[in-house]
Amino acid sequence: MKILVCIKQVIDPETLVNLDERGRVVLPEGDLKYWMNRADEFAIEEAVLIKEAGFGTTVDALTVGPKHAAQVLERAMGMGADNGVHILLQEKDFLSPLNIASYIAAYALNKGYDLILTGVMGEDHMQGQVGPMLAELLGFPCATSVIFEKISDERGAVYVEREIEGGFRSVLELDLPAVLTVQTGINKPRYPTLSNLLRAKKQKALVVESHILGATEDRERVVRACYPGKSRAGLMLEGSGKDKAVRLIEILEKEALI
Amino acid sequence: MKQAIVIIAECRGGKPSPGTYELMTLAEKIRQGKPLPVKAIVLSDEVEKTSQEIAEATGASVLGIQSPHLKYYSGELYKDLLHQCLPEMNPAFVLVSQTTQGMDFAPGLAVRLGAGSITGVNGMSWDGNNICFSRDAYNGKIVLEMLPLMETTVFTVQPGAFKSMEPETTATPGPVEIRLSTTESRNTKSLGIIRGEQKDTGLAEADVLVAAGRGIGSKENVALIEQLAALFPRSSVAGSRPVCDSGWLEYKKQVGLTGATVSPGLYVACGISGAMAHRVGMQGSGFIVAISTDPNAAIFNIADVCICEDLTTFIPLFMEECKRKKRGPLPEQSK
Repeated sequence: MKILVCIKQVIDPETLVNLDERGRVVLPEGDLKYWMNRADEFAIEEAVLIKEAGFGTTVDALTVGPKHAAQVLERAMGMGADNGVHILLQEKDFLSPLNIASYIAAYALNKGYDLILTGVMGEDHMQGQVGPMLAELLGFPCATSVIFEKISDERGAVYVEREIEGGFRSVLELDLPAVLTVQTGINKPRYPTLSNLLRAKKQKALVVESHILGATEDRERVVRACYPGKSRAGLMLEGSGKDKAVRLIEILEKEALI
Repeated sequence: MKQAIVIIAECRGGKPSPGTYELMTLAEKIRQGKPLPVKAIVLSDEVEKTSQEIAEATGASVLGIQSPHLKYYSGELYKDLLHQCLPEMNPAFVLVSQTTQGMDFAPGLAVRLGAGSITGVNGMSWDGNNICFSRDAYNGKIVLEMLPLMETTVFTVQPGAFKSMEPETTATPGPVEIRLSTTESRNTKSLGIIRGEQKDTGLAEADVLVAAGRGIGSKENVALIEQLAALFPRSSVAGSRPVCDSGWLEYKKQVGLTGATVSPGLYVACGISGAMAHRVGMQGSGFIVAISTDPNAAIFNIADVCICEDLTTFIPLFMEECKRKKRGPLPEQSK
């Protein structure tokens, strides 16, 4: 069984994001903290669990991103992925999900993947589009928000439970090959092992320049970025920690909440 | 042919979901500048009642697609059936609720239609003659205004972002067309719905919820959250999804898109960034206090009171001040 896991490097959510006077996003100078999108860690873990269960499985981890995105491939291989594939982007700009999905589809086409996993959404932009778009581009069935899966080898299918609203799960069986987007909490992602990390450093990921995979026209454009409006008073308490504690008690008393 | 605004209705228990009427509100907002006809599509194994209800409440024309294979949702079948009927409607805007179902089929549907796709829509504005749709980025700290460039664009719209349209009984009901379909899924079998994690009824009943986010830093700090909650009568501890994923709290304590939707009198958000997935579960709370070290956290935009402090130092300070004012756990009191 051949599994492809699509992972993304995201910026630390606590990073101070600013806007310039033309409404463009400006990230602070200096060393920014990046890590693997959390939902993608669960996708890697799920693939490694399938590999450990047998089926003669190989796991390829793939990322689309600039040079520093290679770190997440190392981590994925540290967790037990066999190979890394880096679709290298030159541009730093905002790429649409369709662009990303098209790059991955162009790479994955005719490679014989039985199962493609990815996280349910990127924790930075929360679009949740790359997985279902990739499935459509490849003509594979797709299930999103998967919280349980079981491969049925003899049937060439995968049983999945999708997490839906109100504490319920929608149950489906998809013919392989299929695309699943994995919900967080499906498993407990392991830490990379030292021996795997050393192997990853030696083995190096396969680098594919994005431009040879062909570009996709943008179907929507970011006109401007702005700060969100406030839907409530948003009173920011000032002073020392103690001042704030005293003030909060006063406010809660006034609101008859304490 | 004239373009249209098409709403994909979602049915829950034989009725249109509340989100369906929120999509109607957005459609009306679009119509203020682009007076296109509004059409709704209902997909189910039993469409007549739902279709009629939407036609009567909104005056929109409704296409009900009925199939025995639609007893349970299948993304593949949805895409197939919608791809069969959407092109003839020539939609400029296809509006879908951003539920777990909408998010499952909308991006793939857009690809199949050769359309644009914008998810997480929570606002709309005019830029000259163009309509821009806004969505969150960077964990809700930034809003991006997006301009659709294609003839057709599929949108998923955040629950609660637009007020539900009040059903008008005086409106002339729109025409209803019912089509019977026998199309089957090729590669997907829907096997039904099962119950997952049990919900904690305590969350819905609590007057005060003290909620932990990833910003609490470690499992040990859950104790602090519990101590803070214990200061309030009829209170309970809740958490965001990452906290439950880490095993710091049980899943039944989760508030948000895939957890509970709550509206207590007081919601204290501790170390919660305020991403959309959490906000949709708690934005209806009576009074919101947010504690975070990140001065730009999105949670501050929906809070009544914002405290930019490390909660491991602030919560003990707050408890000490409460004690000093002789405010231990209070007996139940009416507000």
